[in-house]
Amino acid sequence: MAFSIEKKAVTKWLEKLLEAGEVVAPVRTPCGDVLFSTIRSAEEVVWDFPNPLHPPKEFVLPQTDPIVKIRRNGQHHEVEAIHDGTRRFLFNARSCDAKGIAFLTRMHEMEPADASYLRRSGNLTVISLACATPCPLGFCVCTDSGPFLSDSCDAQLTDLGESYLVEVGSAKGEAAVAEAQSLFRKATEDEVSRRKNLEVAARNHFGEETCHFASAMRRISTGRVPDALWEKMGDWCLECGGCNLVCPTCYCFGVKDLGRDGTWIRCRLRDSCQYAAFTLEASGHNPRALRKDRMKRRFFHKVSAQYYTRDGTVGCVGCGRCIKVCLGTTHMPAVVAAIRKGKWHE
Amino acid sequence: MNDVFLPDIAWLADVCDETPDTRTFRLRFRDSKKGEDFHFHPGQFLELSVFGYGEAPFCIASSPTRPEALETTVRRTGQLTNALHKLGEGDEVGVRGPFGNGFNVEAAYGKDLLFVAGGIGLPPLRSLIWNVLDERARFGNVTILYGARTPTDLVYKQELSEWGKRSDVETHVTVDAAQAGWTGKVGVVPSLFKKISFHPESTLAYVCGPPIMIRIAIQDLLALGFKEEAIISTLERMMQCGIGKCNHCAIGHRYVCRDGPVFNYGQIRELVE
Repeated sequence: MAFSIEKKAVTKWLEKLLEAGEVVAPVRTPCGDVLFSTIRSAEEVVWDFPNPLHPPKEFVLPQTDPIVKIRRNGQHHEVEAIHDGTRRFLFNARSCDAKGIAFLTRMHEMEPADASYLRRSGNLTVISLACATPCPLGFCVCTDSGPFLSDSCDAQLTDLGESYLVEVGSAKGEAAVAEAQSLFRKATEDEVSRRKNLEVAARNHFGEETCHFASAMRRISTGRVPDALWEKMGDWCLECGGCNLVCPTCYCFGVKDLGRDGTWIRCRLRDSCQYAAFTLEASGHNPRALRKDRMKRRFFHKVSAQYYTRDGTVGCVGCGRCIKVCLGTTHMPAVVAAIRKGKWHE
Repeated sequence: MNDVFLPDIAWLADVCDETPDTRTFRLRFRDSKKGEDFHFHPGQFLELSVFGYGEAPFCIASSPTRPEALETTVRRTGQLTNALHKLGEGDEVGVRGPFGNGFNVEAAYGKDLLFVAGGIGLPPLRSLIWNVLDERARFGNVTILYGARTPTDLVYKQELSEWGKRSDVETHVTVDAAQAGWTGKVGVVPSLFKKISFHPESTLAYVCGPPIMIRIAIQDLLALGFKEEAIISTLERMMQCGIGKCNHCAIGHRYVCRDGPVFNYGQIRELVE
């Protein structure tokens, strides 16, 4: 179902959504950075913006995610699961980030399903903004996660100049429109066809694919990447973990009790498979003590056919954030190219 | 949908010293209904919480045939295990589980069983050993080979002597280095293979211990004619969630916590780091 909403009416829609729940959207900070944040007024939302460095996964899988409340009472302890039932609307997420959230949700739906995550994602309505112009580092066309979406979001907005086309893709999306139904009218055939043309034009902007996963997948899945190449790439990795932290599909975590004096919050904390301690056992034994092995692990998880078969996609949405943060240049397109060519770029 | 990270509360019904740094903790669920509903296989593990310190995985060291005594044996090595060792009878801990695949007991019916354990590798096998001994008639010959660095480091000393006295079990215990008063064997665990007789074609070998011991024992067993599928081990990895989500224990696309921790050697060889 496709609707149309005049640009000047969007503020009113946002005000309605703010009454119905929490609204998260890209905002510009006083320093000029753009980041996803909970907004208090509709005017805060920016519409023309570079994709923020941190993906909106924070709102389904926070960096520090409280999962269990623990209280000591004399000799006894009481434990209670922490439920985040806040209804949230994620506005203006880019296509890659909407795909990222859909990926995370699939991971947490796998048996045994993770209620803590799913409660939060179940209350989140993702309203994405299609990308008419590709971003400088993005390669979403290679991962089937943009520039326009046909699934993975509850509603997709396309900028048609004077109005937005709103394609509704789920019951949650319908409900978000229903919050201010009078502001919407059914989209015309002309509007739908303009949206299609915009998608074709946006795809053409990408030119040839920039990250060829298929041949890298064949090599990585069959162990045909030379050890010396992993070692070479491992040498370039600075072990900062930045790639994991900004990746919309990374979800590895550790569990810790934070607090003191008999009151603790058990938290799920994001972790990085690039840290040496990720696999360090209490005995001191570490099966992935070497950087080359950790790098192999990261790209096996993201690119191998074994995981592709399980997850249905590569573990990458082509947002290009790892390109931006990696000082060692061991980001997704560079590693995929090196695996394909059997040679590091130097 | 369950809150998969919410532990159940259990209290320590008994704490028993095994070695200077290893203790066995007997757990009893505060909610007795939980205890009645808690069913497990030998080889499965628990996520044990020490409140304020977090949680860590420990194998269940007791047998499902004795459900009244749920036990785990823990060596003091890090923050959490140090904190656990400071707890005494009546103190509370959190329990999630059981997790992992465990040993397939029914597949071992009618077979000869060879247990090969080193150091703190005996606890997961002890669960299976008692299971086997409690259903003794279902199995063929049972042989237990166990070793530790020194006599002090041997766990379950009383049970070792009890098994040693039984006529339906062959038990050999060895130490790497003897201490004053030790009259038993000296040598590494695989050196005991020479002291026993067995039929590789009808025997299942269960191997658990430090990585170096496992490697040597498996090499020796293969050389003695065991098939890869007849050599069964339980792997150890850094684990956090126990349910295949956190990715710490992943080897290739397999998860030690969910697909394991019990694998036969054929499966272990297919795991690509």
